[in-house]
Amino acid sequence: MMNTQVRTGKRSRILKATIASCAIVLGIHAGFAHAQDTGEEKLSLAGKKIGISAVGTDHAWDLKAYQGIIDEVKSLGGEPIALDAKRNDQTQVSQLQTLIAQKPDAIIEMLGNLDVLNPWLKRIRDAGIPLFTVDTATPYTLNNSTSNNYALASEVALQMVADMGGKGNVLVFNGFYSVPVCKIRYDQLKYVLQAYPDIKVIEPELRDVIPNTVQSAYSNVTDMLTKYPKDGDISSVWACWDIPQMGATQAIEASGRKGIKTYAIDGSPEVVEMVADPNSPAGAVGAQQPYEIGKSAARNAARYLAGKPIEPFTFVPAVLVTKANAATTAAQFLEKK
Amino acid sequence: MDDQTQGGKTTRRRASIGSWGIRLGAISCFAVILAYFAFTAPGFLSFYNILNVVEQSAILGVLAFGMSVVIIGGGSDVQTGGIDLSLAANTGLCAAVFATTSNAGYPVPTAVLAVVATGLTVGLLNAIAVVRLNILPLLATLAVMNVVAGSELILTQNTVISVASEFVSGLAMGSFIGVSFMAWTLIVFTALMICVLHFTGIGLRLYAVGGHPEAARAAGIGVGRYLTSTYLFSGLCAAIASILLVSRLSASTPGSGELLLSVLAAALLGTVFSRRFVPTAGGTILSTLFIGFLANGFQLLNVSSYWVNGVQGTLILLVVAATSLAKPSER
Repeated sequence: MMNTQVRTGKRSRILKATIASCAIVLGIHAGFAHAQDTGEEKLSLAGKKIGISAVGTDHAWDLKAYQGIIDEVKSLGGEPIALDAKRNDQTQVSQLQTLIAQKPDAIIEMLGNLDVLNPWLKRIRDAGIPLFTVDTATPYTLNNSTSNNYALASEVALQMVADMGGKGNVLVFNGFYSVPVCKIRYDQLKYVLQAYPDIKVIEPELRDVIPNTVQSAYSNVTDMLTKYPKDGDISSVWACWDIPQMGATQAIEASGRKGIKTYAIDGSPEVVEMVADPNSPAGAVGAQQPYEIGKSAARNAARYLAGKPIEPFTFVPAVLVTKANAATTAAQFLEKK
Repeated sequence: MDDQTQGGKTTRRRASIGSWGIRLGAISCFAVILAYFAFTAPGFLSFYNILNVVEQSAILGVLAFGMSVVIIGGGSDVQTGGIDLSLAANTGLCAAVFATTSNAGYPVPTAVLAVVATGLTVGLLNAIAVVRLNILPLLATLAVMNVVAGSELILTQNTVISVASEFVSGLAMGSFIGVSFMAWTLIVFTALMICVLHFTGIGLRLYAVGGHPEAARAAGIGVGRYLTSTYLFSGLCAAIASILLVSRLSASTPGSGELLLSVLAAALLGTVFSRRFVPTAGGTILSTLFIGFLANGFQLLNVSSYWVNGVQGTLILLVVAATSLAKPSER
């Protein structure tokens, strides 16, 4: 965030707007500081069965969050029933249905298509099972452990605006608007861009896919670079998560085009490394702590089962890693879990 | 000459004992796994759990019947016989058609009609390629699968199209005398399939067409007509399954194509229940439910679901091995 301010010296208009927005972002952080998990409280899940349902674990973020939940449930003495639907909505629905019949003490659900999940999450609550979610905002959850996606996404969008000097064209991947965090991030991007009419989103938007996310993003961006061959035709590429960013960055690198940077959120180690590399087109990435987010969900379940009060959401701190600040911010996302 | 005939007979006998042994092995594998779950997995045998599995198997079951009928009519040789690789992709396309027509405000009957028309059109495409153009079903339906999967992508742009209607939520959540509508669909569909395949002239003639097309033709059966209708039927199954799918997920989602492996597994595993290794209605429903129970049992035992694929694959290998041994003359 500091760097967002430092790098925007060019135009006072942008600077003012950026500072104002960052102040709002800071305000959000400060306002919800009490919703953060300090991890110091003594908690226990001894003798408790905790159902864990993830739509998939093929993405580094998902796998870390999933492991975070399982590890924390175990370390608190609980028994995890861990279910990975391998990116298949039908499998996830069937797993949830069987899980409800197993009557665990609580269920932690992680990501997936909300349209598909909501009727089943409602069934979980109707069956009297406490429900907690990771990165999934739904009316049926008791607590959603997540990053502050509103703040993080607007920071990334503002960094992009600053790097673009407030004008130019953006390529946007928008294939997962039905996934709640992607909706928030996309909406935040659009909200920020409202203030910068000289920045245009290239239509039609691109669709990121699962699986073959990197390859598909690579070929999509390569095609667009061919379609818009002049320098300045495209200034940025934005995606709601960083796996398409990986493909986009590689495509730009391969084409040898200058002046195009990529932006996304999540903070996979490979992408953080790209941002840290001064020669890479990766402009910035909002890096989260998925393992901590997963742990936080398990701790909230323990807190609730112990009869303690819980907030409707828990924000785990995230960091905007940019070209300028990578020297100090990147290291923590490159190693360990 | 005599020696050769003698040798041929011995080989055949050995092969038939071998295939009998493997068949028995596969069936006892089924039985042992289910018995193990019954004794160790908590709640496995409860009525509620069994109903859950039947409900979860409805989509796969309907599709497996479609595949079975194609295999019965086209012959059970895995390489040259009947197969419909476009079945799962067709389900995805039908689901997309159902979701888009519903969201465009068309009433349920119109949407259902559009879905059935889509399913049958894809079936007809397969039939023309296989029966008229005489392309190997494996290749013909593979090509159609790609066309259909592409059409689904064009229609949905690879996104989730959510459907919120009373019909859909009623079908997904509703029940009749304690059994959900999804489960009822599979039960009624199975009963119909058993009747048609095993207790009518149509079923008998269909088995004749698949077993020995020349003989069937000599007996005056319209082989081409029967083959065409098997592909149309599998298209219809895709249409029915797609409506169940959209109801269950409250949306049409990308990735229906992944169903293909389970559908093939259900139809192929089912052949182990028949002495001649051809699909039967009973065999298909048993293997469909077995696949459902496999995932369910592992979850109840809290064993990683990653094991399901391994067990399923091993069983398919056993069945295909048994089938190959049973037909040494074709090699």
